Amino acid sequence: MWWKTTSVILLIYAIVAGLLVPLKPGIDRVSPDSALTGSRLDMQIHGYNTWYSRGNTADIRVWLQYDSLRAVAGTDIRVISDTTLAVSFQLPTTLPDGGESDMLNLIVSHPTDGVSLLPSALEIEADTSASSSAANWTDNPVEKLHVVRDFSYPYRNVIYETIRNTYFHVPMWFALMFMFLVSVVYSIKYLTRPDETSDQKAVAFTETGLLFGLLGLTTGMLWAHYAWGKAWSNDIKQLMTAVALLVYAAYFILRASFDEPEKGARLAAVYNIFAFSSLVPLLYIVPRLFASLHPGATGNPAFGSQDLDNTMRLVFYPSIIGFILLGVWIANIRYRILRIQQLADDQD
Amino acid sequence: MKFFKLVQFLTLILFLIVNLQPLQAQGNRDFMRETGKIYVVTGVILIIFAGIVLYLVRLDKKLTNIEHQLKEGKNE
Repeated sequence: MWWKTTSVILLIYAIVAGLLVPLKPGIDRVSPDSALTGSRLDMQIHGYNTWYSRGNTADIRVWLQYDSLRAVAGTDIRVISDTTLAVSFQLPTTLPDGGESDMLNLIVSHPTDGVSLLPSALEIEADTSASSSAANWTDNPVEKLHVVRDFSYPYRNVIYETIRNTYFHVPMWFALMFMFLVSVVYSIKYLTRPDETSDQKAVAFTETGLLFGLLGLTTGMLWAHYAWGKAWSNDIKQLMTAVALLVYAAYFILRASFDEPEKGARLAAVYNIFAFSSLVPLLYIVPRLFASLHPGATGNPAFGSQDLDNTMRLVFYPSIIGFILLGVWIANIRYRILRIQQLADDQD
Repeated sequence: MKFFKLVQFLTLILFLIVNLQPLQAQGNRDFMRETGKIYVVTGVILIIFAGIVLYLVRLDKKLTNIEHQLKEGKNE
């Protein structure tokens, strides 16, 4: 049928586009990453996915940025390799707010790579004995940036290429929500008008939802191992997800514990409504009340606009639809197996 | 019970992937962290693929049982 073909095409598209589109050039790290005020700083910038040698070196501009108005421009910019840039800064004598130390962002504007930013790249400490320096925070504001438009995914430190997991790990949860939603609709249908079809469909969709849940949790653990340092860090999002999956696992244990299938089906349908109403708080409300490692930071451990740009949307949404359709397909097969099992049992 | 086997399988796969560190080259950069951690994405896709295949195997077994059941019913 058309929607099965659609699911396969969308998933192939998500895998191909998800893996082949490059990341934007970014800054991996700088050395040294700390300096004193008033000093002359010779810095090496290590880029990721960059082509520093392309274009005219004289067009490359580098800033150490304090805020939107105050910055120090780099001089003597030399390209050492495609991923290494050498630059010097004459740092002003004092910090703009007169404080003791602060973090500066690094901005590189390259004619072909475009603009890349490393937040909190350099720790600057006030040196009280510093002799007066000619440099000033407001002499060279960040301006005339090279804007390069291309088809690429955002660069994030620590995450690097794993930003592509957005197309595979996140749709698991969308598919899970969809499966459990369909399942609870069939459970309600079964309670208002009991017939085997509704019950079997509820079972099939719950099972498929649980499959997506397990896959989401496992892929999340693998991702966490390389992004957060540990596969399981008892993060609130991980814990609540595990609880939600256990709640749904209990659905099957509840069904199996009844000798009369009809009684079991009725109770399971009631339980499913409770399970679904606990799902939303467990996955979307409770994790927001606590600090979480999950994006995007405290208060919103789900999805922020910073985690998804318009290029990513072009792959992310098709992937979600693809996985949901695949789930419906799997659930449909599971339902048909339950139905012929029923027919075979009746024949005996 | 079969569902718990599925869980076991998935855990095993994860364990294997996370413990690929013996493959790492000398130095302190391990295999999975090289080239911008791209192998983590490969791992995620493999887990999803393996999970769906294992579920298909389970459905296959269910169908085989029903086929046997129908065959026995006919022979009686």
